[in-house]
Amino acid sequence: MLMSLGRRLGQTVFVLFGISVLIFAVFFATPGADPTSRIAGKNASPETMERVRHEYGFDRPLPMQYATMMKKLFITRDLASYTNRGQLVVPEIIQAAPITLSLVSGAALIWVAASVLTGTLAAGFRGTWLDRGLMMAGLLGISIPVFWLGQVANLITQARWHDTWMFSWVPGPGYIPFTESPSGWFRALIIPWMVLAVMFIGIYGRVLRSDLVAVSGEDFMRTARAKGLSPSRVMIRHGLRTSMITFVSLFGLDFAQLLGGGALLTEVVFGLQGVGRLTYQALSGLDLPLIMASVMYSAVFVVLANAVVDLVYVALDPRVRDGR
Amino acid sequence: MLRCFVVSFLIVFFMTGGAVHSADADPASTPNGTFRPAEHAGGTLKLTAQSAPGSADPQVNYLAPMLQVEAVVYDGLMTFAKAPGPLRRHAVPDLADGQPEQLDDGRTWRFHLRKNIYFSTGKLLTTDDVVASMQRIFKVNSPTAGPYFSHIIGGSLCLHQPKRCTLDGGVVADKETGTIVFHLTHSDPEFPDRLAFGHAVILPENTSVNDTGNNAPPGTGPYRITSYNPNSEMRLERNTWFRQWDALAQPAGYPDHIIYRFGFEPESEVTAIENGQFDWMAENVPLDRLSELGQHFTSRVRLVDFLNLYYAALNVNTPPFDNLKARQAFNYAVSRRAMVIHNGGPAVAIPACQMIPQGAPGFEPACMWTKGASPSDPAPEWEKPDMEQARKLITESGTAGQKVIIVSPQTPGYLAMANELRSTLARLGYIASVRSMVQAVQFPYVQNSDNRVQVALTGWNADYPAASSYLETLLSCKTFHPHSDNSLNMSGYCDQGADLLMAQARAVAVKDQEAGDHLWAAADRELMAGAPTVPLAQVRWVTLLSSRVQGEVTAPIYQIIFSRFQLQ
Amino acid sequence: MISSSGQTTAGPWVQATRALISNRSAMSCLGVLLLVILLCVFAPFYAHHIARTDPFISNVAGTLTVNGQETDIMQPNDNPLHLGLSPIGPTWHPRSYLLGADSQGRDLASRLLYGGRNSLLISFSAALLCIIMASAVGISAGFSGGVIDIILSRLMDIMWAVPVYLFAISLSIVTITQGLHIGPITISSNSLLVPIFIIALVYVPYAARPIRGRVMTLRNAEFVLAARSLGVPEYRILLRDILPNILPSVIVLAPLLTALALLAESSLSFLSLGVQAPAASWGTIIQDGEGLIYTRPMVAIAPGLAIIITVMALNIFGDGLRDALDIRETSRRNG
Repeated sequence: MLMSLGRRLGQTVFVLFGISVLIFAVFFATPGADPTSRIAGKNASPETMERVRHEYGFDRPLPMQYATMMKKLFITRDLASYTNRGQLVVPEIIQAAPITLSLVSGAALIWVAASVLTGTLAAGFRGTWLDRGLMMAGLLGISIPVFWLGQVANLITQARWHDTWMFSWVPGPGYIPFTESPSGWFRALIIPWMVLAVMFIGIYGRVLRSDLVAVSGEDFMRTARAKGLSPSRVMIRHGLRTSMITFVSLFGLDFAQLLGGGALLTEVVFGLQGVGRLTYQALSGLDLPLIMASVMYSAVFVVLANAVVDLVYVALDPRVRDGR
Repeated sequence: MLRCFVVSFLIVFFMTGGAVHSADADPASTPNGTFRPAEHAGGTLKLTAQSAPGSADPQVNYLAPMLQVEAVVYDGLMTFAKAPGPLRRHAVPDLADGQPEQLDDGRTWRFHLRKNIYFSTGKLLTTDDVVASMQRIFKVNSPTAGPYFSHIIGGSLCLHQPKRCTLDGGVVADKETGTIVFHLTHSDPEFPDRLAFGHAVILPENTSVNDTGNNAPPGTGPYRITSYNPNSEMRLERNTWFRQWDALAQPAGYPDHIIYRFGFEPESEVTAIENGQFDWMAENVPLDRLSELGQHFTSRVRLVDFLNLYYAALNVNTPPFDNLKARQAFNYAVSRRAMVIHNGGPAVAIPACQMIPQGAPGFEPACMWTKGASPSDPAPEWEKPDMEQARKLITESGTAGQKVIIVSPQTPGYLAMANELRSTLARLGYIASVRSMVQAVQFPYVQNSDNRVQVALTGWNADYPAASSYLETLLSCKTFHPHSDNSLNMSGYCDQGADLLMAQARAVAVKDQEAGDHLWAAADRELMAGAPTVPLAQVRWVTLLSSRVQGEVTAPIYQIIFSRFQLQ
Repeated sequence: MISSSGQTTAGPWVQATRALISNRSAMSCLGVLLLVILLCVFAPFYAHHIARTDPFISNVAGTLTVNGQETDIMQPNDNPLHLGLSPIGPTWHPRSYLLGADSQGRDLASRLLYGGRNSLLISFSAALLCIIMASAVGISAGFSGGVIDIILSRLMDIMWAVPVYLFAISLSIVTITQGLHIGPITISSNSLLVPIFIIALVYVPYAARPIRGRVMTLRNAEFVLAARSLGVPEYRILLRDILPNILPSVIVLAPLLTALALLAESSLSFLSLGVQAPAASWGTIIQDGEGLIYTRPMVAIAPGLAIIITVMALNIFGDGLRDALDIRETSRRNG
């Protein structure tokens, strides 16, 4: 167990190293990406360019620049952005994280509740029009591009019907900190929550339904029914609990990925300054320090979540342990 | 004497309404000679922008949104008038107490520092601060150190060894009398304008010589930046040490606080301003909202004229546009009417046919690239494209059938223009395509001659009202730096004759501004005859105010003056 | 297996096909899908009858005749300030500007058809390429095991750890700037191969995992162990025993991957990182529509609906395929 933990940790570090090298290499392979002229400013004279190149160390060999950047990012934590030069990237990400957390956890609440409801209902009424209708709605949710849905939501709530009683409560786009106004926080996020949750409701509802259907054929379910428990009770008390294992591990991975910036499109469409949007901004401005920091941040989340899920499997299921 | 001039100027200006077109009469700006910050002072001004405007170091940052903030926080010896007025108005004295004395045919400029001015820290402004700030331009690697200030004696030494920069003999100050004398290596009629540009603001002498990043150094203006976080917001409050000394140069502020929030899409910003959540946004109003604003928010829209130009730079060192006839053909063929439509229609854009924008000093109408006109016989304005002439020139050039790639920034407005240019090139018989890049990459990419960009679509705003901002900066031999990402002469064009005309224009303008302007116009015609670029359009800036904003808040160079917002 | 009527044994493939054909919703979705594909693929043959303008050339200064009246395509607004121009809205007239014009005065309906060509081409090719790459990776990792497996799996982890869009955006920025160089082959930056390659690459880990898992199970299956103990060479085991048995897993992946690729393509194009102007795809049309959403929302809504219909059809058909081949639902991940 300890061995596998150690090995896993080693592999995780290797993965993170690989990602950082990849990003660094990609950045310096892009023509026009050389940050010197952007830092020096338009029209800067060649002498000024030279001084900036030297002061920022862009004239040093790439491996050394890489090492310096990693040191500044992880050890001294004083890596500063190239576009907003006073901005340290680590605190910048720490400030963006609560916004993403607010968005993702609210959406997660909605999608877990809604998908448990639809999945259980569909499995309970298997083969009926309700089942087919719910699963079709789930598929529809999976098929809608999230940015498009967000745009249409904005069109409806911010422009077309903003002045009517239906949506006049929707605040302008952007994030309102919980500490500033809890009700404002809720009103600003409720529509992004729903937009982000739609696809996951579809996915999770379908996964849960098929697990429940598979589980209902198992012996312990038959036993429970034979004992005379009501079908709905069996479904909820026994079936749901068993099926939750897949559901929870899937949830762990998705949640981690969204926290790491996977909700980029939702954040961009609704103007929420979260980690995903920060990464997008960094990429569109080719701001290497910020790209590096935000991608490493999301990679850490995803890799750790993967490792935790794998470890939990190893601990729970001896077959997987032998298989590795 | 100067006071009188300023006052009468203001009266004249307010009578005519200036260059700003707004449909509502503004009760707060009734002319009585001075501004009265009485009835509408106070409140919190709420501004918004898509992204943060970069470093808060005023001597480093070159982005317009930050220059607008810094206009109400810092002062230079000179400044641009912070009130509506003609586009060609030159710098006015700010921390200097009058127009500078010009000696030696414009090689020496003598300023006298205004007395009893304090920084927001309470420190008294002295000539030491002026000298230190001029040195700091070099020490902090300001982008304009080379192009604007290296002709101060000692400047080129400073450029090479900033750490040991003294500007000895170049900036001579007398602390007792408060005079500062600048000695230049050659005459420069534009020197006061350059001192008025944001990078030459005066900071306390003990300011760090490194880019101050998110920490704004103290200034002398009516506001001070109390906090700045590029990921969320900037906050300003009144500088309690500020006393208004000149309402044109640095008017006292109306709002008590200013909050500037970042990170919203322009479409959302418009909605937020309509709904009263913000008072103003930094970006131009998106084109699809114009009709809505014109219909329902007429009195809250301001159309601001400013010096700008959209153009396509043609690489004169790479086929097919190393051929003069091919360049001229392209210029004849472009439908500038379509360019106007792409930029929002005739109410907000006009066709551009020459490199100096309308309203700038040295602008004399001369359109060579319209039906019936030619380089030797220019028309007063652009009317329609001349496809026959263009096709004839293409045949003569023998370049038809070549591949041409237009490199454009990825923003929708630029892309629409790039696609229009692509269609034009296709009609001329080229195999044309568009390549778009994020603007941050595109701008350095198209400047570097190593990338062999054939057509670069770009735009240019003037730092100060001068023809040189366009002709010399964008098309003179000395601004072409091969193999460098910073070579604003994207065409790689070099016309000795035009350069000579520009040098003459400078020399003449020291004594006779008008004669200088005529020479600039001649240089413009000379350059355009060589067609190194395709000028496309000049736009007006459309901005929207919330319903609680009153007052004349626009000005030509800064476009907007935050201290002038009166909040109901 | 002997069928109840006592006829000869039907192979598993025949059975699956029969099951699929009897699945009404899957078949009707296949019909919808084929219709969309045919409409888009043959656009060049009839689109000019719809548009009567070139859908790739901007036409802002043009005019058109509706009900005998000549109108500007970019219509000036009669507000007091004369601010702004709006492209003509839907005319609902099948022969000119059926769905209106976009901000460059181009016919939306014909751009939708041409855009669909690119969207479909990209998503199908990307899915195919992805399956080929994923099979190669999954089979080598699963069949070889050991060090190769560890290295490949960790490489997949690297790719999977970077959120899909971030990975795609980084790749796109490089490729869009300078094109792609793979050995002697150079793909120019506005080639459709760029988004195809990016999307395929991004989903390799997603597709390789189930394939690897299946191969690992098969490797330890009794019939493979038996073959190995009889001294059958490894490559024959791979060809004869493993490949045919992973085929169903691969086939089931195909429509789902295509649906994912279509969504990914539209998102990339929406972020200006996919198809490059003047070529169109449904994603780029949505992006064009973003700038018109307040005046002409149709420009953004129509391509969105096209995407939803196509992706939905692909997903339902994929479901039917899975049921027919009797493979349990694999979990899928978002981007």
